[in-house]
Amino acid sequence: MIKRILIAAAATLTLSACAPHMNMNSSELDDARKAIADAKAAGAETCAPKLQAEAVAYYYWAAHEITEDDVHPDENAHLIDTAISKANEARTLAKKGCNKVNVEIIKMEGVYFDNNSATLRPASVATLDKAVATLNRRASINVEVAAHTDSSGSDTYNLALSERRAASVKDYLVAHGIDASRLSSRGYGETQPVASNTSTEGRAKNRRVELRVMN
Amino acid sequence: MRIIFMLTALVAFAMPAQAKAFDSIEDRGDKITADLQGNDSYHAHLARELASIASIEKGQHDLGAAKVLIKMAEQEAAKAGGTK
Repeated sequence: MIKRILIAAAATLTLSACAPHMNMNSSELDDARKAIADAKAAGAETCAPKLQAEAVAYYYWAAHEITEDDVHPDENAHLIDTAISKANEARTLAKKGCNKVNVEIIKMEGVYFDNNSATLRPASVATLDKAVATLNRRASINVEVAAHTDSSGSDTYNLALSERRAASVKDYLVAHGIDASRLSSRGYGETQPVASNTSTEGRAKNRRVELRVMN
Repeated sequence: MRIIFMLTALVAFAMPAQAKAFDSIEDRGDKITADLQGNDSYHAHLARELASIASIEKGQHDLGAAKVLIKMAEQEAAKAGGTK
């Protein structure tokens, strides 16, 4: 008898790890699947990551509830509707473009680098210290240090240069007491100009560093 | 003797699949939340959402689904690369 119980317990332990708890192939999920795919194609994972993640999570949740064979049909419908709604919202935001999604930008006017270099000039200190003070005052925000170049030079070179410059500013902030876990850095190269690159003034405006609030 | 050998083999086969079986769903969810603090990526959000759903399913006594969901959450957390 004891042997039988032991065998049954071991078999249960083995099978429970791979028991089917989701039915991803259900036709009930077709609309949600399509809405999520459309949002992903529009760039929602990058431009509206929270909404898209919520849509996918509700989709998985619905895929689980469907396996319970109409135990909670109203709940299943609600989960599917929520997944579709979130995905559609994410797609709409993504289609507007990442820059137009409500991201707060903290401008850092007065950050200077040596030519073709990520070395900060001493003249940048005042602006950088002001950013340190802002981040200390707003201790709950996490930011992306975003660096941009003008259009002089190749796309590839400008992207690499902007990445090094963003990292350089991030390093300064960390060295002056900002927790590294609150910061990320990203170079955008010449992809996001704020002025015309045909004039000296315009190019100067495009060469910039800013903090993007990520939460 | 043969039955002991079979039982040992069966349990040994099961153990890798049951890894983390002795950590609670809540503990694993808390670890995901801590590891992904400040991470705003899609995978990080999905990991947090799935961990939250796993906790709800456990609360509804569907431990099997909770385990599947928390494992998915951990896989997404790994894709998110942890704290940023």
